Amino acid sequence: MKGIWPTAGVVLAGLALAAPLSGNAYLTGVAFQIAMWIALAQSWSMLSATTGYVSLGHAVFYGIGGYVAVLLVDAAPFPLVLLVAALAPAVFAAVIGLPVLRVRGPYFVILTYGLSELVRHGVMRIESALGSFGRMIFSAPSPEALLWWMVALAVAATLGAWAVRHSRFGAGLAAIREDEVAAETLGVPTARLKLLALIASAIIPGAVGGLAMMRTGYFEPGQAFDPVVSFTIVTMALVGGTDSVRGPVMGAIGFALLSELLWSSFPQLYMIVLGAALIGFVLFVPQGLSGLVDRIAGRRA
Amino acid sequence: MTEPMLSVHDLTVAYGQVQVLFGVGFAVPRGSVTTLIGANGAGKTTIMKTLAGMVAPRSGTILFEGRDIAHLPSHDRVDGGLALIPEGRLVFGGMTVEQNLRLGAIAPSARAGHDEMLSEVYRRFPRLEERRHQRAGLMSGGEQQMLALGRGLMARPRLILMDEPTLGLAPVMVKKVFETIAELRAAGFTILLAEQNARVALELADHAYLLENGRIAMTGTGADMLASPEVRRAYLGM
Repeated sequence: MKGIWPTAGVVLAGLALAAPLSGNAYLTGVAFQIAMWIALAQSWSMLSATTGYVSLGHAVFYGIGGYVAVLLVDAAPFPLVLLVAALAPAVFAAVIGLPVLRVRGPYFVILTYGLSELVRHGVMRIESALGSFGRMIFSAPSPEALLWWMVALAVAATLGAWAVRHSRFGAGLAAIREDEVAAETLGVPTARLKLLALIASAIIPGAVGGLAMMRTGYFEPGQAFDPVVSFTIVTMALVGGTDSVRGPVMGAIGFALLSELLWSSFPQLYMIVLGAALIGFVLFVPQGLSGLVDRIAGRRA
Repeated sequence: MTEPMLSVHDLTVAYGQVQVLFGVGFAVPRGSVTTLIGANGAGKTTIMKTLAGMVAPRSGTILFEGRDIAHLPSHDRVDGGLALIPEGRLVFGGMTVEQNLRLGAIAPSARAGHDEMLSEVYRRFPRLEERRHQRAGLMSGGEQQMLALGRGLMARPRLILMDEPTLGLAPVMVKKVFETIAELRAAGFTILLAEQNARVALELADHAYLLENGRIAMTGTGADMLASPEVRRAYLGM
């Protein structure tokens, strides 16, 4: 049972990379969306699934990355643009990290949400002061190139999340999640580890935001920092399951496909379904889709 | 006379406006069991937390093996050989016994040879080996105390701080915990024990300090204190 997951991952990444070969632009778009949500949910899990510090503000990293990428795209080679888009939110995370990570539980959730909104309104103010009401992007790479970049990010995020969970660093984070005071008595440098986890979880979302802006060809702060991005990340990760790296992948695929179906036929229903699924999973399937699969497999074995 | 392993001078601690410790001083000789006894709220746990680096002192020095550690972060203290077994045990309930133990060796100085240390802990506490794959939260209070102790040992400490290890345990387990403390002393560990259960603590301890309202009220050998009329009346109910 265990060996099939890496295989499934490779097949999945291969399919996504091959999507443009179909010549179907829609398919390329769906693959891009799926890879994007995997990368985001997986990055979120590096902080929130490991430490139990649930961030409801990951849109801020995505938005900062997007903003930076839009500002730089005409001035620098594309890989460099992405690199800066990834590093900018990491620097932001390093600056806000120590004070923000002092609060726990629901206060941390509210604080991350508030912070993300604060930055969103700040950027909106800056942009309107500059007389810009949205920026068009003319020099974006092709949709195929963007997809390949995004798949690379999804793979990197998944491998990164796996490495974190299977390292001493991850063991320290798990101790923090279980009991932060006990972790401290054992010599876990709690403040430092939490900060590193926050920074690690901010990097890839920055690059993802950059690619996403290139894909839409348009930057508008209200959309780049849309809190729905944060909500969607949390929902996908929780519905997928937070006990393994499989979870965010399953949640992202499930929701991205579901949203494609709903957007095309019942756009008003999308957020309702998202909310209902979150409530349903938290109440009835706390281990998420990935735990559900294990349970079914275990019953059969 | 050799220098004590731990010596504390003039320790003052306050939580905001409320001062809890007023110039506390004591020493823990190498290889001894030294106990802090006193009523609830006397300041025992505050002393333990300050020694472990979880509460910052307002003033005073904490000399551990000759070095002032009063302002080191707690992870550096663990790395330097000082382990706290916290009040209430605080085992990781959702993890297995073995995961708990392995986390005990997370300090850099404990990483090398942590497999041998694990076998040593299992040898000392066979019950933990029997339950190695069980979730820690499902064990009895006494077993959890053994686990907390084993987890502390994984850090290879030279000084073990034990905060109320018998809290909430059945009498038979209290006896077991004190037997274990005596074994650890025989094995060369130095132990500072904060305990409300004054009689058992004094019977075992080489040195004792009585803490009252954040000050050291009396000190002596365990036997002296057991014989003191004042201690007998106030703390032993005789």
